[in-house]
Amino acid sequence: MAEKSLNTLPLSRVKTIMKSSPEVSSISQEALHLTGKATELFIQALAKFSYQQSSSKSSLQYKDLAEIVNSEDTLQFLHDIVPRKIKAKQYLKMLREQDEDD
Amino acid sequence: MAERPEDLNLPNAVVTRIIKDAIPDGVSVSKEARLAISKAASVFVLYATSCSNNFALKNKRKTINAQDVLSAMEDMEFEQFIEPLQQCQEAFRLEKLEKKKEKTPKPPPPTVVRIDDDDKDVEEVSDSSDDGGSTKKKVKDINDEYEDFQITVNHDNDDDDSPQIIDDDDGD
Repeated sequence: MAEKSLNTLPLSRVKTIMKSSPEVSSISQEALHLTGKATELFIQALAKFSYQQSSSKSSLQYKDLAEIVNSEDTLQFLHDIVPRKIKAKQYLKMLREQDEDD
Repeated sequence: MAERPEDLNLPNAVVTRIIKDAIPDGVSVSKEARLAISKAASVFVLYATSCSNNFALKNKRKTINAQDVLSAMEDMEFEQFIEPLQQCQEAFRLEKLEKKKEKTPKPPPPTVVRIDDDDKDVEEVSDSSDDGGSTKKKVKDINDEYEDFQITVNHDNDDDDSPQIIDDDDGD
């Protein structure tokens, strides 16, 4: 029983997140249930897919996720959440190039 | 918003469990990766909710329902989720029906019939109108066993097992 509950996201938390959205008035119990389930499916898909694309087969790293988020259209909404990381040097170079264009 | 930051995050333990189930055994997941997935999941909820809400509003409803969620998945291009979600929906509905069945017992309503004074059988009727609760309960129990009998009598001694139907037409 304990194992089962560990695999399921707590609906109270899911509801809190959903209601933090200002335009949302109310959510049916069924809709809450399905959103919770969809989120679980999403986590699985994200983890699985990132791992498959990763070069390392023994570990899953942040960069694997950033890569996937960058390359998949359906994950565009995560661009700001899981951005690719670049070294400060590179970033400063980018800024300089931008200034030159302007 | 009044929520503290951690309220908008999903519990780490559960997220980790779901990740571990999705990838082969023995593969390690960096803390950073785990956090990123957790954040992504929270944002996914927000995105899905916003999408679902749009569908609800489009249909002039203020409450997001299951169909809105399914429509949102299609809109977000997560069609692969639709089938498992539909199965989940079925299971949820069945569960609800089961629970409903358990809660409401079968009719008939547990009415205690008043017997006229000149009826012989009145002795067997315990006029326990004071503890109406327990009377009703007994009647209810008897009702469960003998569904055919609409009217039951509260027997104190159950030697004579079958409840008698008081038929007023007997005597004149």
